[in-house]
Amino acid sequence: MSSRRSRSRQSGSSRITDEQISDLVSKLQDLLPEARLRSNDRMPSSRVLQETCNYIRSLHREVDDLSERLSELLATSDMSSAQAAIIRSLLM
Amino acid sequence: MDTKSTPPPRPHQIPNPSRPDFLACWAAASPSKPMLAFHFLRALSRIHGVTTVRRRTRTIRRAAYSSMARAASPRRAWSRALLGQARARRSRTLTGRAVLLRRRRVTAAAPPQPSSPASRSATIIAARGEISTAAARPLPPRQEGEPPRADALRRLVPGGAGMEYCSLLEETADYLRSLRAQVQLMQGLIDLFSCQ
Repeated sequence: MSSRRSRSRQSGSSRITDEQISDLVSKLQDLLPEARLRSNDRMPSSRVLQETCNYIRSLHREVDDLSERLSELLATSDMSSAQAAIIRSLLM
Repeated sequence: MDTKSTPPPRPHQIPNPSRPDFLACWAAASPSKPMLAFHFLRALSRIHGVTTVRRRTRTIRRAAYSSMARAASPRRAWSRALLGQARARRSRTLTGRAVLLRRRRVTAAAPPQPSSPASRSATIIAARGEISTAAARPLPPRQEGEPPRADALRRLVPGGAGMEYCSLLEETADYLRSLRAQVQLMQGLIDLFSCQ
């Protein structure tokens, strides 16, 4: 794209190159859940950012949902025995 | 090679700060699952006594984000931003003078960040009760080549408003990894609890 070419001509002082940015974007793409479904072909960076935003929002929602379920479970179960079971399962 | 159980580490395996890929190795390391579990479980064990379900849900959610931030390296800007938000939320109960003193202590003790004016205003605005870091403050001028979608990403990632585009992408990747690990941890805990 002409804008990218003109930017690289005047970015003599900036250390951030296009390759670095595209490398970071492809790393982000690998983190997305649909990365395994696709052929790992490079998506346009705008799409990667969009999918990342959606993924972060869905993870936030999942954290909220899981905290609610945890709080309901903590109300009913006995905390000390559950803690012992967790620690046992973590250590073994 | 001796047959001891813990052989001495070879010289090139010890992380050497002067090597150029040292930071890359550290940056690419996934969040430590046991540390995540430790911080989250410790926060959970302090919860006893909160009776209403809604308040407990909120406490658990805040404990999730705080423990996630604590388990992450303090080099991560999102981790510092999350812990700063939690601190500001707690300081909201204090009086005005105490808040001012704590704010001054926090900004004096904070490690020098590349965008210090932006982070200081972030601390002040977070102390005023804003949970999202960029809601009430104009975003920094968009950098060259930065796509318009990056604004939404800045709002989502804690502390993302004051960063350059390059560091924003790095922080997003690390934040995503930690978030995913936290979700897996909570899911595992729920399975464990519901199997009893």
